[in-house]
Amino acid sequence: MMSEPRRLHPAAVIFSVIKIFKNLIYVIFAGVIAWFGNTTFMYIALGILGLTIILTGFSIVEWLRFRYYIKDDELRIEQGIFVRKHRYISKNRIQSIDLTQGVIHRILKLTKVQIETAGSGLETEASLSAVTFSEGEAIRRELKSNQSLVDEEQDESEAVEYPKRQISFNRLFVAGLTSGSVGVIVGLVFIGFSEIERFIPDSAYDQAMSWLLSSAVELLIFLALVVFILLYALGILGTVIKFGRFQITRYDTELFITRGLLEKKQMTIPLKRIQAIGFKQSLIRQPFGFGTLYVEIAGGADGQSANARTYLFPIIRYDELSQFLQTVLPEYEAFPEQVQAIPRKANFFYYIRAAFFPVVALIAILIFLPFVWYVPTILVLLAVGLGILRRQTAGYSWDDQQLTLAYRDFSKDMVMMKHNRIQAFEKRQSILHKRQGLATVRVSLLNHFAGRHVLLKEMAESEVDRLSDWYSLRK
Amino acid sequence: MRQPPQHRIAEDAIKAWRITEVIVMVILLLLVIASFIVGHFFDWALWIPLTALAVWGVLAYLMIFVIPLVRWRRWRYEVFDQEIYVQHGILIVSRTLVPMIRVQHVDTKQGPILKRFNLSNLTVSTAATIHEIPALPQEEAAALRDQISELARVDEDDV
Repeated sequence: MMSEPRRLHPAAVIFSVIKIFKNLIYVIFAGVIAWFGNTTFMYIALGILGLTIILTGFSIVEWLRFRYYIKDDELRIEQGIFVRKHRYISKNRIQSIDLTQGVIHRILKLTKVQIETAGSGLETEASLSAVTFSEGEAIRRELKSNQSLVDEEQDESEAVEYPKRQISFNRLFVAGLTSGSVGVIVGLVFIGFSEIERFIPDSAYDQAMSWLLSSAVELLIFLALVVFILLYALGILGTVIKFGRFQITRYDTELFITRGLLEKKQMTIPLKRIQAIGFKQSLIRQPFGFGTLYVEIAGGADGQSANARTYLFPIIRYDELSQFLQTVLPEYEAFPEQVQAIPRKANFFYYIRAAFFPVVALIAILIFLPFVWYVPTILVLLAVGLGILRRQTAGYSWDDQQLTLAYRDFSKDMVMMKHNRIQAFEKRQSILHKRQGLATVRVSLLNHFAGRHVLLKEMAESEVDRLSDWYSLRK
Repeated sequence: MRQPPQHRIAEDAIKAWRITEVIVMVILLLLVIASFIVGHFFDWALWIPLTALAVWGVLAYLMIFVIPLVRWRRWRYEVFDQEIYVQHGILIVSRTLVPMIRVQHVDTKQGPILKRFNLSNLTVSTAATIHEIPALPQEEAAALRDQISELARVDEDDV
């Protein structure tokens, strides 16, 4: 069907130019800001223009030289301007095929196709930046036909109903409200404003300043409040756009996730690649029982940065988890109702560890800058608070197949892993630990590219030994 | 699992590590000497290079005489059919279990110093971690490598 070598959609040129500019944007921005209004600015502008033309030409040639086709059960890609690169990916090796549509893709009815194999490379093995949507789906069908994936949408009318979960609008709103992204936005606005200031004419700036300073305090507070609410709304909007229409469907051997209002993402997670699942609750979300449910998977799934988590559900309450897992991922039992707490003897270690550096800072400040004593003091109090929280969060639980560890850096993280997904198990004990009958557990998992090591500090030593008996294959 | 692993690594490990540390400490000593010379030309207070020398002395004593010995005493390993069990650490003692079915590959490595003593390091890699058993007698390391890679040859069960 697709055995003829073919090119990408011409729009691929646009994406390639945009991608290059994205990488250069800071350089360009810095140039524009530094020389704005200068005579040099003309040259800079000309330079950018020239660069654009060259890059576009380059991208066009690149597009001309890029071909893909499917033959003999292989996806074959030929590319490269000077160095020709042929890549053949066998159908059997393909782990997942993700379709992503950005805004431009959606206007032109295109899609990006990302193909993953089990390899541990940082980049996606194959990426077609722009093909028509119907072709994208055809590619997916073609490359997956020997697997059990039934294509969504078309087959909805069929007898087999696959279990699925969607996000409700209320939940989406709650997710935005508690996402904490407002802090990031406020930061960006401040940085942005300090730069924009240069472009505001002096007289206008002075006038605005003097008006602001002469206004009543109430008005200023009101203004600040309005700005804050606007920014918060922006934060919520961001979440809504990212996770809008989130839907997860369980097929026989894989999970299928679609999400996004503007940029639409479709991704598949083969069940056998799931290494662990986790439930993360930030400090804002935890009091309400909300958190995000994520999976650790082997090999790059997003084809993106290493810490981009793959969400099974962007916001869910702890008490809904067992039902959710039963529908979508019955292979995993629910998270335990309650985890076993670590012994009281551990308190000392948790408090000292959290407070050590702030206390050192406090002492240093008291010696050198005694008049700002309150800053480090607050810091020390916060650190001790964090230590107490961490100690309260720490816990563990296990049964025949599953181990759950709960711990906290800032957010509370509960990780649930299967016995046969744990790569290595380590018991650590310092001299101080030994005296108290405590030990630290370190469990290694495979995630995106390297490993993730989950530590539970200061468990009772007897429990660590029981746990290592549980893990040991030697009976 | 409460028993530590049984086998020790080769006793020559202590000598090999000491030689390595001596080389490192000699380089550091050169830096300390340099600080005396620089201090002389730039009129530093004499206590600065003297402290450096004192710190070097303590460090050298620890690194050359104490640590290799403690390290050797702590290093234990045992290879079972189902898993590898390793203990190491100086202040913090850690005991690691690596199931055979998780082992991806085994390497033996030998630098010039280890070669003099006919020793090699053995490293075992899983998909997420790397574990080392250092300074085994050459032949033993090779045999162990072959044994582990034989035992690890179990049906592939997705990573």
